[in-house]
Amino acid sequence: MLHLSLLIGLVAFSILAVLIRDLLKSAISLAVASVFLAVLFFEMNAVYAGVFEVSVVAGLITVLFITAIALTRGDGDVVESRRHLAVFPLFFLALAVIDILVMKRLLGRIPAMVNPESGTFADVLWNQRTFDLVGQIGAIFAGVLAVLALFRRGEKDAGHESPRGDAPLAGGQPPAGDAALMGRQPHTGDAALMGRQPQGGSHE
Amino acid sequence: MNNMWILNMGFVALLIGVGLYCLLTMRNAVKLLIGIEVIAKGVTLALVAGGFARNSLMLAQCLVITVIVVDVAVIATALALIININRHTKSLDVRKLTKLKG
Amino acid sequence: MIFLFIIVPLVMASLLPLVGKISKRFLPDLLANATMLFLLVYAVVSARPLVAGGGVVQQAFWFGAPLNIRLLLDGFSLFMLFTISLVSFTVTLYSIDYMEHYGAKADYYALLLLMIAGMNGLVLASDLFNIYIFLEVAAIASYALVAFGRGHDELEASFKYLMLSAVASAFILLSIAIIFALTGGVSFGTVAHGLETLNVRFVVGFCSALFLMGFGLKAALVPFHSWLPDAHPSAPAPISAMLSGVLIKVSGVYAMMRVFLNVFGLTPALTTILSILGIASIFVGALAALGQNDIKRMLAYSSISQIGYVVLGFAIGTPLGILGGLFHLFNHALFKSLLFLNAGAIERSTGTRSLDKMGGLAKVMPVTAGTSAVGSLSIAGVPPLNGFWSKLLIIIALVQAKMVALAVLAVLGSVVTLWYYLVLQHQAFFGKLNESWKAVKEAPFWMSASTILLALLCIAVGLAFPVVIHSWLQPAADILGKGVGVAMSFIGF
Repeated sequence: MLHLSLLIGLVAFSILAVLIRDLLKSAISLAVASVFLAVLFFEMNAVYAGVFEVSVVAGLITVLFITAIALTRGDGDVVESRRHLAVFPLFFLALAVIDILVMKRLLGRIPAMVNPESGTFADVLWNQRTFDLVGQIGAIFAGVLAVLALFRRGEKDAGHESPRGDAPLAGGQPPAGDAALMGRQPHTGDAALMGRQPQGGSHE
Repeated sequence: MNNMWILNMGFVALLIGVGLYCLLTMRNAVKLLIGIEVIAKGVTLALVAGGFARNSLMLAQCLVITVIVVDVAVIATALALIININRHTKSLDVRKLTKLKG
Repeated sequence: MIFLFIIVPLVMASLLPLVGKISKRFLPDLLANATMLFLLVYAVVSARPLVAGGGVVQQAFWFGAPLNIRLLLDGFSLFMLFTISLVSFTVTLYSIDYMEHYGAKADYYALLLLMIAGMNGLVLASDLFNIYIFLEVAAIASYALVAFGRGHDELEASFKYLMLSAVASAFILLSIAIIFALTGGVSFGTVAHGLETLNVRFVVGFCSALFLMGFGLKAALVPFHSWLPDAHPSAPAPISAMLSGVLIKVSGVYAMMRVFLNVFGLTPALTTILSILGIASIFVGALAALGQNDIKRMLAYSSISQIGYVVLGFAIGTPLGILGGLFHLFNHALFKSLLFLNAGAIERSTGTRSLDKMGGLAKVMPVTAGTSAVGSLSIAGVPPLNGFWSKLLIIIALVQAKMVALAVLAVLGSVVTLWYYLVLQHQAFFGKLNESWKAVKEAPFWMSASTILLALLCIAVGLAFPVVIHSWLQPAADILGKGVGVAMSFIGF
């Protein structure tokens, strides 16, 4: 059955996205899983959801991931251990078994109730779910402002690092000292960072 | 119709399980975000499956679109945080983020 | 028009970054504070008559043309709106001076206004999915605000907070998806009606568990509290006050109670679970706060403890319990914000958050010491300040509901609270003046003004508590007490 094979494909590529150790390949695998999900949506007649899924999740989010991976590449890459390849199948098997048992119990217990036909998509979106749209606008503003605030050009706050230098830290002193040092030279903070990397380009 | 819903929800459970595994065991910060993405896929599938079972696909799609938009905003913020953290600690290892304890 | 509660902060938040390019300090300060003041006055003045006759559902208008947004404003929502506006106003006043060092004030105010717009939207929602969206809007703004200073600690705390919060939101959304499939709709009325006739208790129980985990994490209920002691101390002080004072209450306690009491109905199983979690929160928070050296971390653990009281009050389910829970929610918003703002003032002036290093600050910062004393005594439950009355209500409700063991434990928790706040006051303010703090100055004008305002409110609410209960709390308690009937009456959507 097409539906079942699409579901299996979706789960398979998600597992690959989790288990693959190279970040870039992992992001691509996630994008492929998104495509499977989008086709699944089309098959279930949810065309608008499918279009959105493909364009936003398989497109925009993948681009965001790849950008972030590129910007953080090269400085001490963290590679996951290989033991995941052994542990995960056990975990997944247990999960699948529990899942099948629970679903079997629920078979036939859920009453079937079908809603009356609602309006067209445009009608539902603009007229019935208008408050959601206000929320979406808010979420988009929040995301944009968050990114702007986190990437703003500015002095590292000199007055702010020292309190944390005094506050008790469990992680040992040297990292705190470093941060405090970087903080106390406000305008050279960024320059010092760039200076410490020969290939400073990856940070911009 | 409802056995289809149960089938779909079974796979949703698998997806969410896989996502949670990723969050619990992975060390790379970007991998953790991929785990969150997998969970988000599971939840959007659950929404559409519910709409499919109840023949209210229009409502379900509106919900899914909103969820996807919100998810993008969260991922963007999270990636901004990760890039900033990377500037401080020069690595993406979440085990290095243990300064706050106790 | 209650839609203004959401639109005004939203529009202002979009304008502020542009304004910030022209004027770095004066205009953003002015606009942000004016907005907050407007919201506060609007909440007090125009919304009261609307609510007098039970809940009201209002259609929003946009320049004359009707929008299809129906906002729910009943006693509970109005109570939360008032609390949010009050705390936000004092926090914005405080930020005028505090955020000088961070720069980018316009961005800060914009994010703060967005957070408030999100919280207001959540409170006015009549639909499970709207609750989710506005929850997320407020959450995204809070992630950025916690990390605003971009120091290592803040980024780390914000990242952990984001991860845990995203999982919680996913659980909430999954539960909404399942309920949508079971009942065919997401609005309160549809869900309440649908659940009434359904007979799949296992699945509904599972959804309740998911909501409990999701909203419980947002409310920092034990065992989902681990993000709070990291996030709240690292954030800038006004944001700590906002988070501890309103965000965990709105996105955690309000949403949970709205869903459990008005849509699902409070079952005995829920009462038991919530009471256990509440008591556990009280003790974990109180005991952990005892051993803290960092003043803000101690306050963060104390928040966990006090939220335990609030949830306990609601869990009892009796009218008195609900009343106690609501009152304590309001009081905690007042005194926890006060304490966090004062901690920020201390940090700003002395440069440290470590209680070991402080001492005798009362001589150089009398205003801060005084307001902090009021706050500490209130939260510890000393009569006649406000904390005493709300804790008393909860304890009486526990006894009335025959949960005497829990009542005794709650009293014990209160004693521990008193203990660690006395430690805080003694270590920070009294005793010998530490040499290094001789040159420390009192907090700047706006910071002191906002804390004095909060302290006066604590005293006033404590002294005039029958008035407060009758006018603000009783309508809210009634709405919650009506239980599922409230949601049933909204079947028109």
